[in-house]
Amino acid sequence: MKAVIDNLRREAVRLLANDEVKMVIGYGEGTDASRTTPYFASTPEQSAAFTWGPLCANNLAKHLLDYRYEDTRLAVVVKGCDSRGINRLLQDLQFPRERLVVLGVPCGGQLDRNLIAPEIPPGARLQGIEDTGKVYVLVTDKGRLSFPKDRFLMPKCYLCETNMPVVADFMAGDPVPSPAREGSDRTAEVNEIEALDVAARSSFWDNEFSRCLRCNACRNVCPACSCKECVFEQAVPGWQQSGIIGSKANSLPENMVFHLVRMFHVIGRCVDCGECERVCPVDIPLRLLYRKTLKDAHILYGAGTPGMSTEVQSPLSEFSPEDPEEFM
Amino acid sequence: MITRDQLATLLDRLVEKNKVIAPVSDNRGVVRYTAIRTAGDVAWEFDRAKVPPKSHFLPQTEELYCYDTTGGELRIEPVPAAGRAVVFGVHPCDLRAIAALDPVFDGVFKDVYYLDKRERTVVVGLACKQVLPGCFCRSYGIEPTDGEGADLMLTEVGDRYYAEILTPKGEALVREFPELFSDGGVEEGRRGKEALSRELAGQFQREVDLTGVKEKVDTMFEHPYWQEVARKCIGCGICTYLCPTCHCFDIIENHSGHRGSRLRCWDSCMFTDFTLHTSSHNPRSTKKERVRNRFLHKLSYHNERYGLAGCVGCGRCVAECPVNIDITKIIADIKEVD
Repeated sequence: MKAVIDNLRREAVRLLANDEVKMVIGYGEGTDASRTTPYFASTPEQSAAFTWGPLCANNLAKHLLDYRYEDTRLAVVVKGCDSRGINRLLQDLQFPRERLVVLGVPCGGQLDRNLIAPEIPPGARLQGIEDTGKVYVLVTDKGRLSFPKDRFLMPKCYLCETNMPVVADFMAGDPVPSPAREGSDRTAEVNEIEALDVAARSSFWDNEFSRCLRCNACRNVCPACSCKECVFEQAVPGWQQSGIIGSKANSLPENMVFHLVRMFHVIGRCVDCGECERVCPVDIPLRLLYRKTLKDAHILYGAGTPGMSTEVQSPLSEFSPEDPEEFM
Repeated sequence: MITRDQLATLLDRLVEKNKVIAPVSDNRGVVRYTAIRTAGDVAWEFDRAKVPPKSHFLPQTEELYCYDTTGGELRIEPVPAAGRAVVFGVHPCDLRAIAALDPVFDGVFKDVYYLDKRERTVVVGLACKQVLPGCFCRSYGIEPTDGEGADLMLTEVGDRYYAEILTPKGEALVREFPELFSDGGVEEGRRGKEALSRELAGQFQREVDLTGVKEKVDTMFEHPYWQEVARKCIGCGICTYLCPTCHCFDIIENHSGHRGSRLRCWDSCMFTDFTLHTSSHNPRSTKKERVRNRFLHKLSYHNERYGLAGCVGCGRCVAECPVNIDITKIIADIKEVD
């Protein structure tokens, strides 16, 4: 892990010193031992603060959108799942390839902050992280904390599709084993919900959506949500909002419209990075919703997970005479 | 003193004539202040509710009035006044936050919707039993057992609760159900509370020194530091919606045919359209201005307007920010930057 961090820092220093990029977006030390924070270095000196490890859940690809209308070249650190987001942004022409340097990191799985935070002694300061293969060890000033990978990773990691970036100009480390569980079925949870009858399914989602705070975190963190102006915020004065999709009123119908519209908008673009589910403050299982669309797109159009390559078009962006059209 | 069973009986009795709001845990373990039907709904062992109890006094969506224009004539139907309510289980940070909201709605403009509910609601405080990693109320002069702002304050001591009557409303509540409270063991309760307070004081992981922060931040409007913080921000509303002192709202219409209603809904200064003018000019057009505004509001503006802190150290934004923008670090940084 230390070697990867050193490689990353060296490459960031090189890119900034040679003026190859204006800024490097990576991970920096968090404010407690259970997390990191997005970190932006604009000088070689600042690059010394970059870190990497199993506390780097954030998908940094989204931050590129803040600079899409500038003319500066940027570098961004990505894991396997995040890298699909890079490909999608490139495919949607949201960021030009020539202005982008992708720094790939090999990911052995990300620790679930909800699971590890309660195990960390109060006030412990993180000094380093070791990867023993089956266990991540957080070395702190209050002792070594062992987190076996088979219990403490984020649920999405056990279903990991690509733990190595699918696009990278520079790799900061050698391949590491995927955290995916052998024989894991990415559609299992979707199948469970599909097996319910309509009333039970409806009540399942009613219950989840009724809790939504409409904080927009799922949308704002999502690399597929790249619209300059979201449909939910189109210039409609507040006093005319009724009848237009989405007001700020929090009610089950409004919340459902928000989530279902967002779901339809990200079909073929959701890269299944799981950021929506990570950030939701009220634990709505959003990834389950988008997984359903991934499954359907696969059945209907043979589509794989978006962003696996820039060669394959999104199924809804391309017409083929063979497309199913049972509704015609 | 009151036992857990008697407290449950108290809530059950209160439900008969009041709307009783208490921390309730849902199927995914998310704790929010919700109207209960019986004491059995209460999440007794909750640590910190995800959404603060401000949602009772300032609901996320609140109907202000309804109207009907059938036949070309305008009829306005006011929303019925709030009934009696009890908010149970409010921790000291959230109690102080309610006190910080009061002058906002009870200033030059009297906000009848807020004040009506405030007037008819009895607030029952509950001392914390643990300090969470994000908590830093102590830096704001709040002890996790403080009852300031509550009508009745409860502290769990052994298998009973030490109850302190702090206002006439609290006294009326106890007088209504004298058989549920007892004087026996009060001294033991008081000592238990003191011991708990000392124990919790040593559990804080986050402490900030606020000395000089307001004065410093007031000189930092144009400081490049805000750009640095804003780069991380994804512009969601988590910090504001979960903040017990944030209170911004937007007014919207909800109409269909001849009938409609006017609603007041939470809004967030982190949202792009928060300051959007009808001319399409946006004075806070980038995240830098929005992030700066939030921290200036918390650390300076609220203090300036009401003489009260705009942050109570509840730690919700610290715990939930998706990109780890941590107000305790911001405060420390403000003191450091040139």
